[in-house]
Amino acid sequence: MQADSKAAQIEAARALLAALEQDDDATVKQQLAMLSESRETALFQEVGKLTRELHEALNNFKVDSRLVDLTHKDMPDTRDRLNYVIETTEAAAHKTLGFIDETLPLANELQETAAKLDASWQRFRNREMSAEEFRELSREIEVYLPSVSTHARQIHHNLSEVTLAQGFQDLTGQVLRQVIGLVEEVEDNLVRLVKLAGQPNPTSKPAEVDPLKAEGPQINANKKANVVNNQDDVDDLLSSLGF
Amino acid sequence: MKILIVDDFSTMRRIIKNLLRDLGFNNTLEADDGLTALPILQAGGIDFLITDWNMPGMQGIDLLKKVRADEKLVSLPVLMVTAETKREQIIEAAQAGVNGYIVKPFTAATLKDKIEKIFERINTQ
Repeated sequence: MQADSKAAQIEAARALLAALEQDDDATVKQQLAMLSESRETALFQEVGKLTRELHEALNNFKVDSRLVDLTHKDMPDTRDRLNYVIETTEAAAHKTLGFIDETLPLANELQETAAKLDASWQRFRNREMSAEEFRELSREIEVYLPSVSTHARQIHHNLSEVTLAQGFQDLTGQVLRQVIGLVEEVEDNLVRLVKLAGQPNPTSKPAEVDPLKAEGPQINANKKANVVNNQDDVDDLLSSLGF
Repeated sequence: MKILIVDDFSTMRRIIKNLLRDLGFNNTLEADDGLTALPILQAGGIDFLITDWNMPGMQGIDLLKKVRADEKLVSLPVLMVTAETKREQIIEAAQAGVNGYIVKPFTAATLKDKIEKIFERINTQ
């Protein structure tokens, strides 16, 4: 309560006491009215202050654009990002398993034919083979040797593809790091929200967008105008720049 | 030929290293971001740089700019292998003097093709 109004109240109280002792009814009523009025004024001031604080708190809540962004934009983005992680890991697993499925029969075929030829070869070395059987063995060896070469090339190619498929770890890792960053930001904002009622925070400004900032793999790339979709698009863009 | 591979993900470094080995490049070194790559480059002896863009510490684009600003490294061939696919980024890399730009995920054929193109161009200069 302000010093002025306190002094006025003390004065009114003294005047009231004096008027009571002198049985001055008119002055008693007047001083009583003055005292209750000053009490109401203090109450109104307090209510006014609270109203202002509430208003500011609500305003801060509304204009904190980062919170709005987080809710409307980043949360749905994050859902897309996590779906991208599921799809990318699934595709990589299928790709790897597919190449394994393709490679195992090649290795089996090489091993089975080699075992058969080996048995025949041993019979030949032990002089247990007829001339006709030896001609048959020669034909089999002639077919087998080039197939070793093509199968080995195919196995090498398949293993390279399996190696490449492991790139999912980098791509999904980048996306998951972004999601971790978002979770931390949401946590910070929630902590700020809790503090908001006590001490209103200055309004946060929306962050400036840096077009060169690294963003990792683009989610829903075909819906974004400024994003290229594949290596051919990159090559076209670079050749348009004189590359 | 000595090649430096810069990527913060060890899996991607290993993939690139294996593919390079298939292409006949057996002499490779690795670094996990621009900050660790730069001293290796400055020490000399690296003939070719393959770098990611998005890395903690120093990003690939900043590493490229540092390389082009260093008179000893100014003509070092640089291939960027990255998931960054915004037009502004590709243009920025081109303007900063990148020699090739591959987007992830990529194929072994793309890597071979881009490396061959880079050396063709250097040899005809």
